[in-house]
Amino acid sequence: MNYLDLFRVTLPETALEVAALVVLVVDLAFLRKAPLQARATVAALLGVIGCGASILMMLFQSQNGLSYPGTGELLLSVGGYTAVAQAGILVLTVLTLFLLIDSNFTRHVGEYVAVVLMAATGGLLIAAAQDLLVIFVALELLSLGLYILTAFAKHSGKSAESAMKYYLFGGMATAFLLFGFSYLYGIAGSTSLHQIMLAMYRPDAAATAPLLYVALVMVAAGLGFKVAAVPFHLWAPDTYEGAPAPAAAFIASVSKVASFALLIGIATAAAHVFGDAQVARVAVVAGGTHSGYRGFGAPWSAILIALAVSSMVLGNLAALAQTSVRRLLAYSAMAHAGYILLALAFFSYSAESTNAILYYILTYGLTTIGAFGVVAVVERATGSDKMDAFLGLHKRSPILADVLFVLLLSLAGIPPLVGFWAKFNLFVAVLRVSAGVVPFALVALAVALSAVSLYYYLQVLKRAYVMPAVDDTPIVAHPVTMGVLILIAASVLALGCFPALLQGWLAGF
Amino acid sequence: MQEGMPLAPQLAASPIAQMLWLIPAVPIVAAGIVALVKQPRRKMAAGLAIGSLSFSLLLSLIAFAHVVAGWAHGVAVRETVNFSWIEVGAAHVELGWVLDPLSAVMLVMVTLVGLLIFIYSTGYMAHDENFTRFFCFLSLFAGAMLGVVISNSLLLLFMNWELVGLTSYLLIGFWYQRPSAAAAAKKAFLTTRVGDVFFLLGMVWLFAQTGTLLFYDSGAGSMEPLALGGLLVHPAALGLTAAGAIGLLIFAGAAGKSGQLPLHVWLPDAMEGPTPVSALIHAATMVAAGVYLIARVYPLMHAGALAGGTTTALTVVTWVGASTAVFAALIAVAQNDIKRILAYSTVSQLGYMMAGLGMGGVAVGMFHLITHAFFKALLFMGAGSVIHGLHEEQDIRRMGGLKGAMPLTFLTYAVGMLALSGFPLLFSGFWSKDAILEAAQHWSVAKAPFYMLVFGALLTAFYMTRQVSYVFFGKSRANVDAHESPAVMTMPLAILAFFAVALGVIGTPAWPWFRAFLEGRTASVDFHGFSEPGLMTLMVTSSVVVFVGLGLGWLLYGNKSSSAEEPDVLERAVPRLWAALRDKLYVDELYGASVIAFYYWWARVADWLDRNVWGGAVALIAYGFNGWARLSRFLDTNIVDGSFDKGCEELSTGGGLLAHVQNGRVQTYLRLLALAVVVLAAILFWSSRG
Repeated sequence: MNYLDLFRVTLPETALEVAALVVLVVDLAFLRKAPLQARATVAALLGVIGCGASILMMLFQSQNGLSYPGTGELLLSVGGYTAVAQAGILVLTVLTLFLLIDSNFTRHVGEYVAVVLMAATGGLLIAAAQDLLVIFVALELLSLGLYILTAFAKHSGKSAESAMKYYLFGGMATAFLLFGFSYLYGIAGSTSLHQIMLAMYRPDAAATAPLLYVALVMVAAGLGFKVAAVPFHLWAPDTYEGAPAPAAAFIASVSKVASFALLIGIATAAAHVFGDAQVARVAVVAGGTHSGYRGFGAPWSAILIALAVSSMVLGNLAALAQTSVRRLLAYSAMAHAGYILLALAFFSYSAESTNAILYYILTYGLTTIGAFGVVAVVERATGSDKMDAFLGLHKRSPILADVLFVLLLSLAGIPPLVGFWAKFNLFVAVLRVSAGVVPFALVALAVALSAVSLYYYLQVLKRAYVMPAVDDTPIVAHPVTMGVLILIAASVLALGCFPALLQGWLAGF
Repeated sequence: MQEGMPLAPQLAASPIAQMLWLIPAVPIVAAGIVALVKQPRRKMAAGLAIGSLSFSLLLSLIAFAHVVAGWAHGVAVRETVNFSWIEVGAAHVELGWVLDPLSAVMLVMVTLVGLLIFIYSTGYMAHDENFTRFFCFLSLFAGAMLGVVISNSLLLLFMNWELVGLTSYLLIGFWYQRPSAAAAAKKAFLTTRVGDVFFLLGMVWLFAQTGTLLFYDSGAGSMEPLALGGLLVHPAALGLTAAGAIGLLIFAGAAGKSGQLPLHVWLPDAMEGPTPVSALIHAATMVAAGVYLIARVYPLMHAGALAGGTTTALTVVTWVGASTAVFAALIAVAQNDIKRILAYSTVSQLGYMMAGLGMGGVAVGMFHLITHAFFKALLFMGAGSVIHGLHEEQDIRRMGGLKGAMPLTFLTYAVGMLALSGFPLLFSGFWSKDAILEAAQHWSVAKAPFYMLVFGALLTAFYMTRQVSYVFFGKSRANVDAHESPAVMTMPLAILAFFAVALGVIGTPAWPWFRAFLEGRTASVDFHGFSEPGLMTLMVTSSVVVFVGLGLGWLLYGNKSSSAEEPDVLERAVPRLWAALRDKLYVDELYGASVIAFYYWWARVADWLDRNVWGGAVALIAYGFNGWARLSRFLDTNIVDGSFDKGCEELSTGGGLLAHVQNGRVQTYLRLLALAVVVLAAILFWSSRG
């Protein structure tokens, strides 16, 4: 690999960075006197153009010796799940940028968009990373961006409070992650995921099993923090509640897509070497030194199952008792993360699991951005994100209520909305990969809990549609915001009616 | 008999086949727009509905011309466009649409009859306050029905089928303020649902066996030899093959929709809907959907039959059809509601179609379907014109002598009545009914259906003569002065009357164009067609039967000015039989005493179980969850947030960020984080040991 190839691989990231700098320069140099609304519009549009350019650049990425499965020293993967996740990250970033136009939480819109773009760059790198160092740096790039975004509403005490919590918790989680990485390096003598996975099946690997377990748990803590999996979720409700709405939407969608793409990357690396390592593994087991040693896959699955079950149960049940819609979305995000972790715990080498997870996380990201958009509009009109702020929404803004209706029912997994197919694909993938009582029982649990989830989503809709309004004044939103929200709801409906559209697209990579 | 034409090898579907989806889509979109239109904007609603259906008619005619052109060049057209709908791993469900002679003929019929009825409705419904809602439903219905017609997948057909059922429900109960209309709508929905459950079962079974629900998929579809061969190998219960069993299940669905015994009870009640609805949905199109479905899956029903033989499924279809034909015709004799007579007549004629499918094949059943659609729509709309002219009077005993007051309605109605009765040579109904009788005559299994159908023909001629005599002849027994309907209502009648006569031309034995077209053979004018053995005898027989029926009816009812309260001639002669027929042979009462009574009993048992057994369990679980949720919230707000708030308080007193970092909050968070890591690691070590 030479540097020209590396440059061509990172063309999309470069485009985003350039766009971030352009936004800063334009906003600070040329628009200092312009009204806030105009600055926000220009900044958001420049950001959107940057994302568009980045997507275009994906077409010119070099696949020369870098596409998966690649060489033993692979740093970044190109194509396959990476391409899907990167395209998804960019599209979702565009949607969150549109939410900025109508908000007034900050005067520093240029910086805001620049930080969003840099965080998205981190997301792109995470989705491609195949090396511990790249993973760590990219994760930090994303996380630091998110801390700043959370704190962006400088007039709001809540925003600062939640950013502080997020930052401190994130710092600790990252420390764990780095600690885990150092153990992994110690075991394998390499920072490449590929080499590490191969090292798990070396003849002498069984001797390092305790070290491996500790390392895996620590890595799981670091990544579990990113996807807000219970018990590493403590930051999520506060952050979702305190962050400015566009930032919360970004955290809930883009950051999740990137982190799950990384988990897919790890699982793919493990599954990929499994074929090569099978012979060595048999030799290890036959050697009889440590018959309990089960390589990377089994303990990793066990950790993920533990995280999945606790996330599904606690996320869904705690959501029942929430009165704030943002906190409700935070707990429901944990529940959704739990479902996805289940599919990651039972991962197959074929594209089936990967596609099901990507389908789920992309459509979930899309839906949740829409939900935060509605919350933001309601919040601006009523000053509160409590459930009671949604009373009589149907009367006050029928379109907004209908959008919320579609989005929440999709999150609950009601056909013919896309959330149904996402869940369906995901659970089918789990059951197909592994027959047995345990996966079946876990899927049954997940289905039962998603039935529970319908209850708290309907609590919001009940206020929007059935219960009488306290205040009848119509709620109006910026036309761009409305347009984006309607577009999101329409795609949720259309993708639900024709699920093969997105599936076909995913299968094309 | 010539061999069938070769199928054109499908490389790419023609442009018109590619655009076929527009035919149902445009009316559905129009329905969506009309739904958003405010009530007062009548012109716009009607204009949208009529315009969209005109567009569909145009496309249908182009599609039909395309198929005819291919056929004229000696190629049987069957173009399919399929697309993947759902993918689950390697498995995927495909949907699609098909353009072949069968769908092309149905498309033209549905759009043409539909359009005429739409136009007629603007007159009939002119004074209704829910005018726009009516056209919204009507348009939605037309779209869904056209969707049924073009579907190349049993699943897509089923979706549209259900949509058709829904609009039928909505339109029967259109005047929902009337309790009887609401009850009839419910009854129609529930009764057809019974059939649909079997249909769904058949569909699932078919998918399980063949892995596809597409009808035609260049060799891989479920109606093509490969899949059918596989279905024949699998035995099901009672000596049926899987093909036969699936065919029977699908037939149950068709029987529900097409009002076959014993699921016919909803159709006469459906007359509570506005008359254009009865004409469009409950005479011409929707009820024919069942017949169309059987024609669509005919390869499945016919699979495994030896040359000239039949299959169990087709035998069942025949017997059910023939029984329905006679049964409903008998009841029709003793009805006094002008629309109910026509409703039972529809049930009876649907029986003929089913019997025709069972004994003579697709072309025989479909020909009667097409001709019947035109003359039955004509009769219903004529009845609507009469009802309109008499200010909502529907009892034929309170009519009479209308031929002077409503000449145009009378003339067109007479044409429809003669076509339905099968008046020889001139009317389309004669030729299509004769084709069914001919098939029955040559049926190898039994001769009884033939005699049943001949008897049915006699009854048909008789009850229609009775009705026409009551309504149009004699002296007026009405309380109001009748007036002719406006031109917007009579013009469609005239057009339909033309087709009721003219359509016979394409199905005579001398020039069996329709049959040749559907079966992909060449057609030519050949008067030797009449000289087939037995055909002349049959034609004479059926003519005589029709004349006897007409004569009997005229003898008993013709020109007799009975007063409205005077009992019927037959009622005086055979009072008991009359009462039984008048009460529809007690089928409703039978259902009330058996099925419905059982459901009431079962509902009470379930209610008791619910209250006393399940309710307690559910409440217990609910309490449990509630408690857990409260606990979670308590932990969240008091432990997590509480410690943070406390930290903040100290922060504000102590001041400075560093102090904040070093106070209790971080400890709480980190304790939990570290605890989680330790617990996870412990679980891992513990589990790897086992």
